[in-house]
Amino acid sequence: MATAAIETTKLDYTPQMLPEQEVSFEKNPEKLHYLNHQTGLLSWLLTVDHKRIGLMYLVSVSVFFLFGGIAAGLVRTNLITPTGAILELDQYNKAFTAHGTIMLFLFLIPVIPGVLGNFLVPMMIGAKDMAFPKLNLASYYVWVAGALFFVWQLMVGGLDTGWTLYPPYSSKYSHTSVMYAGLGIFITGFSSILTGINIIATVHKMRCPGMTWGRLPLFIWAIYATSVIQLLGTPVIAVTVAMLAVERMTGTGIFDPNIGGDPILFQHMFWFYSHPAVYIMILPGMGVINEVLTCFSRKNIFGYKAVAWSSVGIAVVGFLVWGHHMFLAGQGYYLAMVFALLTMLVAVPSAIKVFNWTATLYGGSITFQAPMLFAIGFIILFTIGGVTGLFLGTLGTDIHLHDTYFIVAHFHYVMVGGMMFAWMAGLHFWWPKITGKTYSDFWSRLAAIVMMVGLALTFAPLFVVGYLGMPRRYPNYPPEFQIYNVLSTVAAYVQGIGYMMPIFYLGASLFFGKAAGNNPYKATGLEWQTSSPPPPHNFESTPQVYFGPYEYAVADGLKIVPLNDGKIHDIHHVDPDFVSINAPAGKEATHGS
Amino acid sequence: MFAFMDTPPILPEQASEFSKEYDVLFWYIMGVCALGSAVVYSLLIYCCFVFAKKEGVAPKRILGSNKLEFIWTIIPLFFFLSFFVWGARLYDVAINPPPESADREYTVVGKQWMWKVQHPTGHREINEITLQEGVAVRITGTSEDVIHDFGIPAFRSKFDVVPGRYTSAWYKPIKVGSYHLFCDQYCGFAHSQMVGKVNVLSQEDYASFLEGIYRVRDGKNPVDGSPAWEGRKLFLKLQCLGCHNKESESRAPTLEGIYKTKRALQGGTTVVADDTYLRNSIRNPMLQVRDGWKPIMPAYTRNQVTEEELLNVISYLKSLKPGDLPSRTEMNPVPVGAPNVDTSAPPAQPSTTPKPGGQP
Repeated sequence: MATAAIETTKLDYTPQMLPEQEVSFEKNPEKLHYLNHQTGLLSWLLTVDHKRIGLMYLVSVSVFFLFGGIAAGLVRTNLITPTGAILELDQYNKAFTAHGTIMLFLFLIPVIPGVLGNFLVPMMIGAKDMAFPKLNLASYYVWVAGALFFVWQLMVGGLDTGWTLYPPYSSKYSHTSVMYAGLGIFITGFSSILTGINIIATVHKMRCPGMTWGRLPLFIWAIYATSVIQLLGTPVIAVTVAMLAVERMTGTGIFDPNIGGDPILFQHMFWFYSHPAVYIMILPGMGVINEVLTCFSRKNIFGYKAVAWSSVGIAVVGFLVWGHHMFLAGQGYYLAMVFALLTMLVAVPSAIKVFNWTATLYGGSITFQAPMLFAIGFIILFTIGGVTGLFLGTLGTDIHLHDTYFIVAHFHYVMVGGMMFAWMAGLHFWWPKITGKTYSDFWSRLAAIVMMVGLALTFAPLFVVGYLGMPRRYPNYPPEFQIYNVLSTVAAYVQGIGYMMPIFYLGASLFFGKAAGNNPYKATGLEWQTSSPPPPHNFESTPQVYFGPYEYAVADGLKIVPLNDGKIHDIHHVDPDFVSINAPAGKEATHGS
Repeated sequence: MFAFMDTPPILPEQASEFSKEYDVLFWYIMGVCALGSAVVYSLLIYCCFVFAKKEGVAPKRILGSNKLEFIWTIIPLFFFLSFFVWGARLYDVAINPPPESADREYTVVGKQWMWKVQHPTGHREINEITLQEGVAVRITGTSEDVIHDFGIPAFRSKFDVVPGRYTSAWYKPIKVGSYHLFCDQYCGFAHSQMVGKVNVLSQEDYASFLEGIYRVRDGKNPVDGSPAWEGRKLFLKLQCLGCHNKESESRAPTLEGIYKTKRALQGGTTVVADDTYLRNSIRNPMLQVRDGWKPIMPAYTRNQVTEEELLNVISYLKSLKPGDLPSRTEMNPVPVGAPNVDTSAPPAQPSTTPKPGGQP
């Protein structure tokens, strides 16, 4: 290696690894890849290949998203009239609970870690598979078992507590399947913990040579931070649900004050998990956005370290702000002050990320394929979702807005506008890698626009109606709020059409799509340097990484010069004597090192 | 069908002193956030247009800028902390009632799915709370079953009522009117029907409310605890409804909305139905018999209705508006042995028979 200077060939991008022979899908149509090297149902059900497990997650979460979406459609349709258009009161309560619980526990939490995390984490760090492939498969089955059990319980007994499960309503007064639904949540929690352990171990131990922490793609940083939260937070919700079950089953006074319990205790324990859980939902999405924005603007991420550490910062401080869900529950003035202050601090890393993303576009060479449109939609909608969170994190203003539609609109802008759009961006971005096929450019862009318009218009009227005071979880409401609800429902249908569209054009791409080639976007990540779809063990040989993750801007490639000690040094060790790059002079010195 | 499109509200009403303070902070945050978002969106749009891919233009290799990052860490942090400080001050205002409200404490008890409010004077209301304009009051709440939340958007006020503990708030209404009262914490089946009205009355109206003759809405019953309420209970207990009802076979005039109206009497004269007339009609009904009705009303002596009770009954009659009389149901049965009792019903024990062993 150290014998001579290695100079990269002429490329309009610089991958993290130096290209060996170009492996083209078109040239090798019979090539074995992870989809066709084994066939038959059992080869899927018993696979320990992280890519196949990722695809199994993809199918499962899509089905659950459909369930959650149908429930959302029922809820919004019912709200067209002030007295409830189609559902009885208890049906409405079950519908919104089903929507909330399915979307949170069975879609938002597993979607990006389960699908893209599974598929991409080993590929991005140059590994053959996860650290514990069998644990990975077990984790999938635990999750599916819990999820199916949960959905079955929603169908036969229903659940009408809202996803927050506040006692004493849930522990004593609800006549629905709280016990069994809780058991479902309990089981899926194990899957979360196992996946978290697996990803942490993989990132620590499986990185290929040269893949230092400072060269990890930011998606890995985000998934890593997410896994830490899953590992530390999920046991708490498991314990909380178990305590709820004990109280409901045996009448032990834990949460119900009539038998000696404290209902606020439940809220503390519930939000100790569930607030970090919203970061479990959004952090992986932020990770995806980093990958997509850099690729389609042909830029390095602006402030790699700031973005990476803001993920970690969010994960840590996110554990200390749970009390901001309880400002009005009588938790005490000084406690509320502390939580409000920490809430303001956790808002800062998110703001930093938004500014860094925007700055990443500066000076780029931007193209607007579907993943980029989704990513831009993410920034637009997530910004609205983020700033409206400030109204709720501020002690005084939360008083009026708490538990109104304002908060519903806020977290839908974050969760749907943020996470759903990040998921769509990621799915479209890596679809050619996952399937080896390209999808329709026109229809995918149209879907991005339809979804964005539908989402923005669905939840914008709800900010107004929330400020007017309409409480959440209300099937009946004063008639003067009707106009806003009608507007919202109509836009929700538009949104629903948007979500249907990918099923058709992505489905069609499987059968009619052109071969994508290994690296259709000329992206730099390791996952793009192997064939599409990837071979069963991801890489023909173990890759060696020489660069940071986003060296898009260096049109003529990087010149790498060995030092006297025989080790190859890359541009991260900035030393003008040894590195020359065809970039504006002086710019490289700004990289935080 | 588009009646709901008539001038939908854009902003919530400011009906309390706190709501004005609240809105100042709300719009401050709104201003800062709108400005911040505008900056982000302008940069985004600028970059998308200016740096869209052009042939021959290579992207720049920019890795970051500590200076810029420092700026956009510090500036948001500064504003976020300003929200926090101002918000904490506002929260302090919201949870600490002013001293002048000390002896005016309302209580509210939530239960699935109704609000039970009691005034410092002892008056009780269901799903309504009546307040006097310009007078600060405090309110303490708890719950009988699950967690509810007593929220009044027009006051920008809200607090969870939690079983097993007391929580409180205070209001100083500044605008006469009727406002929404919502349960904001999900509490089960009829959560969305656990709603009510907040009535802010002027000083005179509030005084008449306390007397029990002011009715704030089209509710059929006088407020709990008022003289009229007590009178209503007597009215039912004394079985007045057996004859003075609205059904076709009734044998006595309906009493709705008669106060201060002219009544035709047998013999061709008329009389204004004032307090004295009402009193006489109960104590000595043969004195003035309504035209067109048989003189069958029994006289109620002081042994049957005391003077205090009589005042209450008259208060109730004064409060009766058209449509207010209860219909005869199981809760308001016809008198036992009354001539028009449904013949299919089994003969009941005459209530007039003295029960062995003591007084009823």
